[in-house]
Amino acid sequence: MKNKEIPSPRGRYLKKLRLEKARILIARIAILAAFFGLWELLASTKVIDDFITSSPSRIIKTLGSLAGADIARHVGITVLECVCGFLIATAAGTLIAVALWRFDALRRVLEPYIVVLNALPKIALGPLIIIWVGAGYSAIITMTVLICIIVTVISVLSGFTDCDGGKILLMRSMGANRLQILTKLVLPRSVPNLISVLKINVGLSWVGVIMGEYLVSSAGLGYLIIYGGQVFKLDLVMASTAVLCCLAALMYACVALLERFFTRFY
Amino acid sequence: MAILEMQNISLTYQTRGGETDALKDVSLSVKSGEFIALIGPSGCGKTTVLSLVAGLIRPTAGRVTVEGKEVVGPSPRVGYMLQRDQLFEWRTIEKNVMLGLEVQKNVTRESRAYALGLVEKYGLKDFLKSLPKELSGGMRQRAALIRTLAFRPEILLLDEPFSALDYQTRLAVCDDVHGIIRAENKTALLVTHDISEAISTADRVAVLSARPARVKNIYGISLPGTPLQRRENPGFSKWFDIIWKDVSV
Repeated sequence: MKNKEIPSPRGRYLKKLRLEKARILIARIAILAAFFGLWELLASTKVIDDFITSSPSRIIKTLGSLAGADIARHVGITVLECVCGFLIATAAGTLIAVALWRFDALRRVLEPYIVVLNALPKIALGPLIIIWVGAGYSAIITMTVLICIIVTVISVLSGFTDCDGGKILLMRSMGANRLQILTKLVLPRSVPNLISVLKINVGLSWVGVIMGEYLVSSAGLGYLIIYGGQVFKLDLVMASTAVLCCLAALMYACVALLERFFTRFY
Repeated sequence: MAILEMQNISLTYQTRGGETDALKDVSLSVKSGEFIALIGPSGCGKTTVLSLVAGLIRPTAGRVTVEGKEVVGPSPRVGYMLQRDQLFEWRTIEKNVMLGLEVQKNVTRESRAYALGLVEKYGLKDFLKSLPKELSGGMRQRAALIRTLAFRPEILLLDEPFSALDYQTRLAVCDDVHGIIRAENKTALLVTHDISEAISTADRVAVLSARPARVKNIYGISLPGTPLQRRENPGFSKWFDIIWKDVSV
């Protein structure tokens, strides 16, 4: 109780930190509330045309009417495509990066091709993908993988190659072979870099999935958005976009959780 | 008997720009248990000598032998300590210490007990489960030394191992590492550009010339005691003067 009357410098400092954190959180929520509040207000007073802009209440109503099996099915399909694309691209990209790290001649030969593939807008391959792998989930997943994989290879490889020369020298002086240098030094040292690649891929894989669904799909959030636009049901477009925002945030949070686990060591 | 012998070794680097003579006709013989310091102007190829002994590179001419056998590649008979401690941040001290044994596929109950025995003997037992970032600079250097000693090399190569530390820590860590190497009765080859460090640690100091490096002179340092005691010895400044002049010209 005495503490409360005369706060110690430490106590004051901690209190200040807590207050600061709370202020930031409140500001964040306030922005969100103001955005939706203003939107709703303008729509309900007919300042803006809610047929074109939709409104928070109409979004909720749309979601309500879609609720149950239907929305769950669309969300499920999109999430599945996204997670598949994300995992395949990350795994395959990392494996390719390992191969390029191991065989330096291969890396030097392939470098210009990788640069060109990176610059190429993958959406241009859309028609080819549909013809080659068929119009369905596989086309959407292929699109997602193509969009993520080149960036994955480039970022993971650059993480590998900037590995501390001194540590490699140490390993070699102990008699380590290339595989041991990879598994005991290069890979574990790259974990923070791998996590930042995962973060980039969370964003890119959503780009890939939605683009894939725009091209070819009969279900999924991208499909709902396209369909909503075509039949001028902008409530549906907005509602799907809102769900998409939440899903992307959720996936990012998963990666952030993974990062929290690993940063203990680095 | 000489445990380490360098016979007329020369090394020429090939680069796009041309050939560089790094070492020319370097000969040096090191007795078992001896502490040798290599000193010379910066960029003269001191580190190259260590790389040759470690088996990381081969000489263009001449032979390096350890216990009579020619060095053709890295071997557990030689332990290399680099600038900075090079501890792996994601490994606990225990796992860092076991790194060499792991790489050499020699983790046995006996080798493990030996390594952990060193950890205990040199006061790092409480830090076994700690990560390197939780240790002070001196403690980290000690852990790096134990990591090298864990696979029982006969010869330790030290490449300016204290250069990343601040002056105060440096004196203490130098004393510490020197003491441990003496206690474990290892042969050591120290590369440094710090003349005081060379005189305070070594039995003999070899002065290398500018590139291409050759051994100019070898001085037998007859000072008793630990590095710190040697630094206080009146004879210290005499040696410093002689070697400083030799390095400078």
